Amino acid sequence: MKNEIKSLRVERGFSQQELGRALDVSRQTINSIETERYTPSLPLAIALARYFGKQVEEVFHADGN
Amino acid sequence: MQMATDRGGKRPWWRSRWWMPLFSVFLGTAVLVAFWVGGSPREGLYGFAVMGGLGLVFLFGSRSETIRGLGGPGRDERWAHIDILATAVSGLVLITLIIALWLNDIAHGGDGNPYGGLAAVAGVAYLVSVLWLRFRA
Repeated sequence: MKNEIKSLRVERGFSQQELGRALDVSRQTINSIETERYTPSLPLAIALARYFGKQVEEVFHADGN
Repeated sequence: MQMATDRGGKRPWWRSRWWMPLFSVFLGTAVLVAFWVGGSPREGLYGFAVMGGLGLVFLFGSRSETIRGLGGPGRDERWAHIDILATAVSGLVLITLIIALWLNDIAHGGDGNPYGGLAAVAGVAYLVSVLWLRFRA
């Protein structure tokens, strides 16, 4: 699923490791979400959006846009 | 709704770094006792050493994502997804093999045992799982 995780993370100066640690997931899971190889669960998607102070639909794009 | 991770909370026991090492030692002890009772203590000690070594790999191999995922500490929701798929593939391979061996045994004049019983257990376990998950999900 297309998302803004990488741009939001880089914008705030976090590493994948730091973001993963904050959300209790591995660095590889953050990488897989950023590269669209893994679609996170709804709770994790909400947690990611909240972490960046955004709405879920601002971070994840189900329609691919 | 079950949270995918324990963000901010206490980690479940299966994500403890001690879970898989202790389980490995437990399994190694069971292997040792079984071989010992069967009159082959040397093989039992070998089995215990192998399982103990595996436990040490889980305990100290924390640099590898695969080891962390298999061992527990790295078992986040993506890993749980991988685990479910890997378990399904393993089950499919095993059931296919059991059915093939059952058919082969029957074709060679055998009674199909123990493969027929194992295939039946697999089939019943699958149906019970489907029914249980059907009402739970």
